Amino acid sequence: MSGETKILIGKLLRADNRAFVAGCRTKELIAPALGALCKVRLEEGLEIYGLIGNIIINDDSLVRQLVSGISIPTEYTEDNRHNRNLPVEISVLCVGFGQDGKIFHRLPPRPPLSLDALYLCDDAELVRFTSAGRYGYFRHILRLDDQPVEEILTAHLANARLAHAQHGRADWYTGACQELIVLLRDDYEGLMNVLNALAELE
Amino acid sequence: MDTINRANPHPIGYVVGGGLEANLQVRLTVPPQEVQEGSFVVIDSGGWRFYGLVTDLQLGSTNPRFADEQSEERLPRHLAELLHGQTLFTNLAVMPVLMLERGPEPGTEEYRLWKDQHPEETQPVTVKTVPSHHSPVLLADAADIAQIFGEENNQEIFRIGYTREQGHPVCLNLDKFVKRSSGIFGTTGSGKSFLARMILAGLIHADRASALIFDMHNEYGPDSTSSDTGAAVPGLKGKFGAKIRLAGLGARTSFGKLNADLSLEIAQSDITSEDVLLLSQALNLNETAPIVLSALERDFGQDWLHEFLSMETGTTIEDENGKSVPAPNSVEAWAAVGNVHPKSALALHQRLQRLGKSAYLIADPATRGLEQIIEDLEHGKHVILSFGKSNTELDYLLVTNLITRKIRDHWGNSTENFHAEKGKEPRPLVVVVEEAHKLLNREMASQTIFSTIAREMRKYYVTLLIIDQRPSQIYDEVMSQLGTRISGSLGDEDDINAVLSGLPGRSALRGLLSKLQAKEEALLLGWGVPMPIPIRSRRYDNDFWRELLGAQASPKTIEEGNKVLGFDSDDTD
Repeated sequence: MSGETKILIGKLLRADNRAFVAGCRTKELIAPALGALCKVRLEEGLEIYGLIGNIIINDDSLVRQLVSGISIPTEYTEDNRHNRNLPVEISVLCVGFGQDGKIFHRLPPRPPLSLDALYLCDDAELVRFTSAGRYGYFRHILRLDDQPVEEILTAHLANARLAHAQHGRADWYTGACQELIVLLRDDYEGLMNVLNALAELE
Repeated sequence: MDTINRANPHPIGYVVGGGLEANLQVRLTVPPQEVQEGSFVVIDSGGWRFYGLVTDLQLGSTNPRFADEQSEERLPRHLAELLHGQTLFTNLAVMPVLMLERGPEPGTEEYRLWKDQHPEETQPVTVKTVPSHHSPVLLADAADIAQIFGEENNQEIFRIGYTREQGHPVCLNLDKFVKRSSGIFGTTGSGKSFLARMILAGLIHADRASALIFDMHNEYGPDSTSSDTGAAVPGLKGKFGAKIRLAGLGARTSFGKLNADLSLEIAQSDITSEDVLLLSQALNLNETAPIVLSALERDFGQDWLHEFLSMETGTTIEDENGKSVPAPNSVEAWAAVGNVHPKSALALHQRLQRLGKSAYLIADPATRGLEQIIEDLEHGKHVILSFGKSNTELDYLLVTNLITRKIRDHWGNSTENFHAEKGKEPRPLVVVVEEAHKLLNREMASQTIFSTIAREMRKYYVTLLIIDQRPSQIYDEVMSQLGTRISGSLGDEDDINAVLSGLPGRSALRGLLSKLQAKEEALLLGWGVPMPIPIRSRRYDNDFWRELLGAQASPKTIEEGNKVLGFDSDDTD
């Protein structure tokens, strides 16, 4: 896509059809945020879209040693930020793909490959992806059972609502809430969790 | 019909389930307050239009917890509204009643082909199938109601009221109404006598049938005042003039400022022993009365009553042996000769004295009142018989039964003659009976002529119009024969059940009937109306008369009425 803002946030570590994990340097961990829409562009024009579901900072023996010391000199911390050879892991949930200029809210035909670049989508692309179909990608989020669904959803909806208010459909957010209620109306606990989280956006 | 521009094309909901037996379930998509129980709705589905009646509204939720928790207090208003919209809902129970084939979409080739095969206008038929899932449901508009109930023509299609929410006119087909017996029910003050007056006015105006009104409280003929509002209530006589004959029972019945057109005096010879037996309860006759009566008829024929009443009691003479024996003109003497127990004969004689004292029951009446009434009815006039001062239950039972028996005989003969091609078709007659439970209760129904009329006389062009406040007191067999039932508010559960007896969808209609407003609302039911419908009844006021009779009939005073009849008001007493 020409003219779009490209913010590289990481390189692929591992992937499957449903999710993938990218890594970035600790110092670069500014742009990625929970619930943000990002994408990986594959060779043959396939673009895989995902939502950031989790960001993990792993430890290593050096960090453990430093933490267990009496005090950590500032330069050690600074060095750890810049030169650490263990990446921050960004877990991304696959929510759809783009092919031949069309957006689909299905899982991609194949996962991205190692070292593929992961970019953050801008507002225009966020609007384009979320406007396609009828909120079909929600099912990928709601299917999660080991992650805080309501938090990811709320973080995503907060971004998308803002983007739509500026560039997209004014009623998009209402439609999204309605769709969530329809999808979750048989799960009282789940729905109330989502709604209580969404209440914070008001 | 096919290209109706609906005034309100927005559906109020869609079909989600149900069936013919257990009402259709319709998910409401508008606030429940926009629909009421008793609303007339239409459902379009697959070339058919279904007509139904809302019989219940029920609140529901996808999960009871959504209903239990007051989520509007926890969530922002916008979210709470969205949540309620999806999880809390109202279902309508719709009783499907009729369906009408409308064919494919008008303007299409399929429609043209279908129209070629069905050139005549299709008619609504009783519902035999159900609309599909998700068929849109709309509130009926005026055209839908006219399609089912007919369009007012100020003749036989008579506007009886309006739908309750939207005020669309609802009409009654008077031709159908008089074809079978019918009933108007409601508690005191529910407006049933105004309703009856309006329907009678419609009948008289449409000139489709003659009416004989047994007016126990003298309220149909002369003008009166409303007991509730104190407003003047025009009587039928003042409005229809010579079409109406006011008959008074006995020579001195008063109609206020109006004069009676005829006085009804009944010859004692018209009374049969059966007439008297009918009064067993009112006269407190004992068990031996039938034997004595049959002996009297055997000995004196049709003059039995006159002969019996002129007998003396307790008079004796001395016979040739000087022994005291009953005088020849005494009850005892007749009993001895007639082989009747003297005490039984005396008891009956004593009880029958009440009849002897009646002002209208005389040995040799000067007028032929009874024949005159029948003649008038036959010639298209309408007779209001007022009981005047003779308004006890005894008088009512005796006179109504006697007249109706004569009518039965007469109309029966006329119909037979007509069928034998010896005479013209008899004029349909409606006999209006107030306080009908007195004549048609379980005990009396088998003896009075009225149950026969209700059951069989429609073949002979005679039907009943029963007006009563206690339908449960009326014999079931009679109730079940009533073609059209118009019921105002009824308080008693038994009365409600009685009105609904023999009708399909009773349980659905019961709620509707029990929740009618105490005034001005009525439920139309039965064979005479295409489908049950609750209405706000038309008002019996000057506008009613102006609409019915045209501008020239704007309010007439009694004086004006008298002028029409050729009486000067000075002459009236």
